[in-house]
Amino acid sequence: MEHPTSSWQAMQEGNVFYRKQQCYSIPGKLPNLSDYIIAGCKYGGPIALMRDHSKLIALGRTMPAVTKSQIQVYSPAGEGLLLFSWDQGKIIRFGWTIDEKLVVLNEEGTYRLYDLQGDYQQHSLGTEAAELGVIDAKIHENGMVVMTSALTLLEVKGWTGARPLVLANPGLSEPPHSWAAIPPDLNISRHVEVLLSVDTTIYTVDNLENADQRISRGPFAHVSPSPNGKNLALLTAAGLLWVVSTDFQRSMAEFDTSNVVGATGAVLQVEWCGNDAILVTWDSLVVLVGPFGDILQYFYSGPTFAITELDGVRVIGQEVCDFIQKVPASTLSIFRPGSTSPSAILFDAWESFSNKSPKSDESIRSIRPELAKAVDECIDAAGQEWEAHWQRRLLNAAKFGRGFLDFHNPTDFVNMGQTLKVLNAVHYFEVGIPLTYSQYNYASPSHLITRLTSRNLHLLALRISGFLDLKPDPVLKHWACAKILKAKATSGVTGKDAELGGDDEICRMIVEKFEELGGAEVSYAEIAKKAWEVGRGGLATKLLDHEAKGSDQVPLLLTMKEDKLALVKAVDSGDTDLVYHVLLHLHKRLPLGSFFRLLEEGGQTLAPASKLLEVYAREQNREMLRDFYYSDDRRVESAVLSLDEASRTTDQSAKIAAVKTAQKFFSEDKDRSFEAKVVDEQAKLLAIQQQLENEADGKIKFFGLSVNETMRACILNGFSKRADKIKHDFKVSDKRFWYTKMYALVEAKDFEGLENFAKSKRSPIGYEVFVRHLVEKGFPREGIQYIAKCDSSKRADLYVDCGEWRMAAKECKERNDKAKLEQLKQKAPNSLVVREYEQVLSTMK
Amino acid sequence: MHNSDNSEARIDINILKEIARKDLVDALNSVNGAKTLVLDASLAGPLGLVTEVSLLKHQGVEKMFWLESGPLTSSTTNIVYLCRPRIKHVKTIADKDHIKRHAKESRKYVYTLLLVPRVSTLVSRILEEEGVLGDVTISSYNLQFIPVADDVISLEHENTLRELWVDGDETILFDSAQALLSLQKLYGSFPQIIGKGDFAQRVATLITRQGAKSTTTSRNTILSTFPRIDSLIILDRRVDMITPLLTQLTYEGLVDEVIGVKNSHVELPLSLLQPPTPANANTAASASTSPPSGSAIPVVSVKKDNKKKHHLTTATDPLYAELRDMNFSSIGRKLNRVAHRLDADYKTDLQSKSVPQLRDFVGKLGGLQTEHQALRLHTGISEMIVPYTRTDVFNKSLEIQQNLLASYEVSAQLNAIEDLVAQGAEMQIVLRLLCLASLTAGGVKAKNLESLKREILQVYGYEYLSLLLSLSSPHLSILLPNPLPASHASLPASKYPFTTLRKSLRLLIDDNPEALDEVENDISFVYSGYAPISIRLVQCIAQKGGVISNPADKEKPATETGNADGDLKQSSAGKFQAHPIVGWKGFEDVVAAIPGQTVEITQKVENSVSPAATSLDVVAFSGQTSRDSATTTVVFFLGGCTYTEIAALRWVGRQNKGRNFLIATTGIINGSNIMEGIAGLTTSVKNPSAV
Repeated sequence: MEHPTSSWQAMQEGNVFYRKQQCYSIPGKLPNLSDYIIAGCKYGGPIALMRDHSKLIALGRTMPAVTKSQIQVYSPAGEGLLLFSWDQGKIIRFGWTIDEKLVVLNEEGTYRLYDLQGDYQQHSLGTEAAELGVIDAKIHENGMVVMTSALTLLEVKGWTGARPLVLANPGLSEPPHSWAAIPPDLNISRHVEVLLSVDTTIYTVDNLENADQRISRGPFAHVSPSPNGKNLALLTAAGLLWVVSTDFQRSMAEFDTSNVVGATGAVLQVEWCGNDAILVTWDSLVVLVGPFGDILQYFYSGPTFAITELDGVRVIGQEVCDFIQKVPASTLSIFRPGSTSPSAILFDAWESFSNKSPKSDESIRSIRPELAKAVDECIDAAGQEWEAHWQRRLLNAAKFGRGFLDFHNPTDFVNMGQTLKVLNAVHYFEVGIPLTYSQYNYASPSHLITRLTSRNLHLLALRISGFLDLKPDPVLKHWACAKILKAKATSGVTGKDAELGGDDEICRMIVEKFEELGGAEVSYAEIAKKAWEVGRGGLATKLLDHEAKGSDQVPLLLTMKEDKLALVKAVDSGDTDLVYHVLLHLHKRLPLGSFFRLLEEGGQTLAPASKLLEVYAREQNREMLRDFYYSDDRRVESAVLSLDEASRTTDQSAKIAAVKTAQKFFSEDKDRSFEAKVVDEQAKLLAIQQQLENEADGKIKFFGLSVNETMRACILNGFSKRADKIKHDFKVSDKRFWYTKMYALVEAKDFEGLENFAKSKRSPIGYEVFVRHLVEKGFPREGIQYIAKCDSSKRADLYVDCGEWRMAAKECKERNDKAKLEQLKQKAPNSLVVREYEQVLSTMK
Repeated sequence: MHNSDNSEARIDINILKEIARKDLVDALNSVNGAKTLVLDASLAGPLGLVTEVSLLKHQGVEKMFWLESGPLTSSTTNIVYLCRPRIKHVKTIADKDHIKRHAKESRKYVYTLLLVPRVSTLVSRILEEEGVLGDVTISSYNLQFIPVADDVISLEHENTLRELWVDGDETILFDSAQALLSLQKLYGSFPQIIGKGDFAQRVATLITRQGAKSTTTSRNTILSTFPRIDSLIILDRRVDMITPLLTQLTYEGLVDEVIGVKNSHVELPLSLLQPPTPANANTAASASTSPPSGSAIPVVSVKKDNKKKHHLTTATDPLYAELRDMNFSSIGRKLNRVAHRLDADYKTDLQSKSVPQLRDFVGKLGGLQTEHQALRLHTGISEMIVPYTRTDVFNKSLEIQQNLLASYEVSAQLNAIEDLVAQGAEMQIVLRLLCLASLTAGGVKAKNLESLKREILQVYGYEYLSLLLSLSSPHLSILLPNPLPASHASLPASKYPFTTLRKSLRLLIDDNPEALDEVENDISFVYSGYAPISIRLVQCIAQKGGVISNPADKEKPATETGNADGDLKQSSAGKFQAHPIVGWKGFEDVVAAIPGQTVEITQKVENSVSPAATSLDVVAFSGQTSRDSATTTVVFFLGGCTYTEIAALRWVGRQNKGRNFLIATTGIINGSNIMEGIAGLTTSVKNPSAV
């Protein structure tokens, strides 16, 4: 085994080392990279290649000349993963998402997300973008920024087909020399930022504003943000590489690329190596520029393609796939020539120990206080090594050191061992995922599982899931979908019956596998959806039966046109929004008649659904509601709806008409004779009110008042006769009429009229209420005359209420009610009254 | 506070407020830059309990508008709508005054629609129908339970009754289940779910079904530091429609009945709320001194004053904690006593001469002043209420209520109701009485009912016909003719077995002087002699002894009649240990008589206690733990609860040690807002918005 340091190269007078690690040797596996447009996926992902049609190519060399665009995907180990042709509009740009899907965007603003099996979802940027046309795009892990031909910018957030957001208009007149987008999660504002090289300066654009950074060093041929979004690498037309912070406040480094020996032609790529160095590539030459302008040169036999990773840069050449990175601190500390760090000594001690040299003991003793740190460093360094040989040696050294420690938490050691086992498995060239330890930590184990399943490596994924104590669900789900797809391909030839049998068998296989492996929580609905999509309705239904969650079944049932079942399941889920979803969907799709029939036939089970439909229709679609009630012979509801319309309209004749319609509906239901009668009364009242308004030349408002209010308005405005007639016509009780008239007369301050009214006949409501009401309305004097007609026991109090203290006293005296008098005396308002009362009291026995 | 011995064991519901706040901040921050917030007026109250305007300002909200029709001009490019997913609101947003108008005037805005509590297909469909879906980003703000007191959480959802029992819109069931599931996630799962009513059953099913899905993933979020929840009791409002129809007689209840409490806020005259300066002390005096003749014009005079919203909370007003649950008849005495004590406090301290004594006094002065201000406020409020309680209509309606509850001369009560109609009493009072008559007597004689209905329609307007129809609809059936018409007969059990319940649940406690002590020693104090059925049902589960006899009776010899002053104080020495929850046991027959399904579910406890515990009999399990720590019983009122019910439940909570109640509800209701809510459509017609 080569010593780790053999791949190191020093920079900055030997203070910093960079290493170039060969991951795979891939001679002849890839086509000539210079003929292709390439997009690489981060985290050891694959590369996608498409013929660059702007380049001339000798016919018949490696491939037949195809006019149609084709995209090929290769793993970093040079294995072909996918090949598909493109039949849509011209491809503008393609790139990779965080979950390893290939985004392909065409000039019409349509984009597709391909997984590694060639399945895709298609989304669009909307009609505006389609009309304008797309000229360029920057695709990052969680979205993209699109430039339209009008030189405006659109942002797509996430890959779920969300509507693009319009960013501030940079107001360009010609396309920028170059541009870049910094993803939202790397900005302080948490919103995407676009950098455009315009003339000599750079514009930064976000969704709110467009800022000119006022730089005069441009135009820039390359704009490249660092993986953490903090710095920018800019390359001027003259070949000057300038590194600056993204806010353009601090200049980091400058380097003139035109002086590089051996560089020919234009710079192809400016990529970051981690966050602290920059890789500049030419045809067959790669130069690593360090933070202080030091350089390292690497030569390749042919064109290369570099992919920035968060801890380094991956370079794919014709022959090899390399990983270039700064030597990590722990590795440096152990293997740096002449290092005397505790970890270096520990490693040395272990080597001595394996060689049975007594020096070992001495070394360990010398680092005793820092042993724990040394052990940790050895564990960490093991993670940084590509070769299992060195990983093992470093872990052994750590284990050896641990033996001398009393307390040391073994978690890190165990985890590292586990992780390395997983990483080595996926590094294997047939899998071809050269994921480093830090990338693995960043991207999470479940992400790795997804990558494996998307390559159809289910067994490995399942084993790793088990090994890492992850749930097997995602793997199983993917497996089931893949299984269905495969089965489709094989069973295509056989007849109908055979396929039905196949359904049962596949369903059974899937269910059994799930039960066996504990994937009880896998959503059968999603698998069933897959089955439906590939045209296996029977299988879909069977799988759906295993889905426990009703709400998950609904969308698929709808697409399968199992309308009633979908509605039942939706109602059963209790989620009213889901019910609406189904209802509105069906309303759109079915003819109205069958839509109603579906609800009516549902009876009690679907009652909540039809109730919801009524709620919706009452606000949004009354016409439909009328039809609905009518078709179901629901007279009362129809009538109420008419009444509701009557109360909403301001037009008098429309109102009367609506009330009459309601009356008709009520009269058709024999149980509703009362309602029919009162609604009839209402229509009559409205007619009378109309007439009254005409008589009053429209100066007084009658229309829409209640019977009581109408009588009141009549009395207030001197139509007393009409009030009497209404009383008669509407069979208003005497009591109620007396109250109403009394209130109205007091309100009109027609005290004479009140007196006459009181005398007209014996009051059915008594006279106490007269007094009380007059007092309440502030006319106590007018109340006095009615007191005499009241119940004698109440008179004294009523007199007091009217402020007639003397009369109250007199009343008490007449009734010889001494107690009452004493009681009233307590409340007396002034001494005069008190004295008077005492006088009266003295005359009483 | 009385329950100080329990308070440390209480579940901390302020977390809910923090969560709601944080979610709001996150929701607003998802829109970059300065924004104009357009707020659904019905959300303003609930949001006010969660956050304050300054917090919104911090999130870049520059201006706020009500969501209403009428042109909207915004100085910012971002317009954020925050509203419930009501069709009406969505149409306003889409309509000619907002988005479409902006489009016509070619003003470019970025619209975000935050729906409470979750996004809705219906909304996107309507936006689509209006042709503006493409212009709006739809997202959600999940506002669930809001703490409205230290033991009450509410969804503050208006009109639940109408939605559920008139419209048949069951959205609130789903939302309630979601909110209860969130509670479960925060505080641990409910080992038992007990309830009554068809909708209670639905919610319980939703909880168990979804709970089973999520427990395995949320195992880690359960915080064991909280006191355990021993059960969830769900009561469907249909189970007890009688209680909210009655006039509430506690302080808080009457404030709600007379002045109106909305989202814990009450509108009061400005003069009451400001500390008295000589000038407005006078105006306050003149406003509250009743006119010389005494009897009437109470509430009217107040309306002219400048009004201001006041948050009724015990956090800043400790006096309120003592007052809120008292029967109103004792309020005067209580206020008097507090006034005397305050006076004494001021005086004693003024006599103190030495400098340290004076320093102490000055230190206390602030506290005395807040107390003073609180006293002034509550005296003022009482003064506003007292005249109302003296009105003829009020006393008449109380009398009718008491008679109906005792089934005393029902037809005379109907005549009395008719008289009230003739006098033109408020419609809600009349309807409440009429429904009460129907519920207690198992329907009103068809002939009487028709003539009463006719009277009502003639007095208040024919447009209330649909309200009357709703009240007698099969789902609500709180106003039924006797005998039932054929259409109703098909539904069994729509008749409410009030007379049976009156006996089996001991609902009426005589209100004669000798029995007064008894009234004070039972939950019936909240209605001066009538025990709310809903709370009796809770007692059937959580304090079985309390249903049969007054638990406080037994300790009466010890405390003498000192209790009778209405202070409700119970010496903690006499408290009984709360018994474990064993479902409806012992009251199965009573519960079965009430219409609606009975719920009794035992959920698997996913706590990390031990795998064996799950298979154990849960009864034994909860019994064993309740001895060493207090448990909490969550009582969820589906369809709202009244302040009196809260007061009664608090009283039950004080009787036992080892059990706290957490009251959860869809909203706070009273008879009048029930009637307004059910009338729904018709009230909206009264002030027609631009059609």
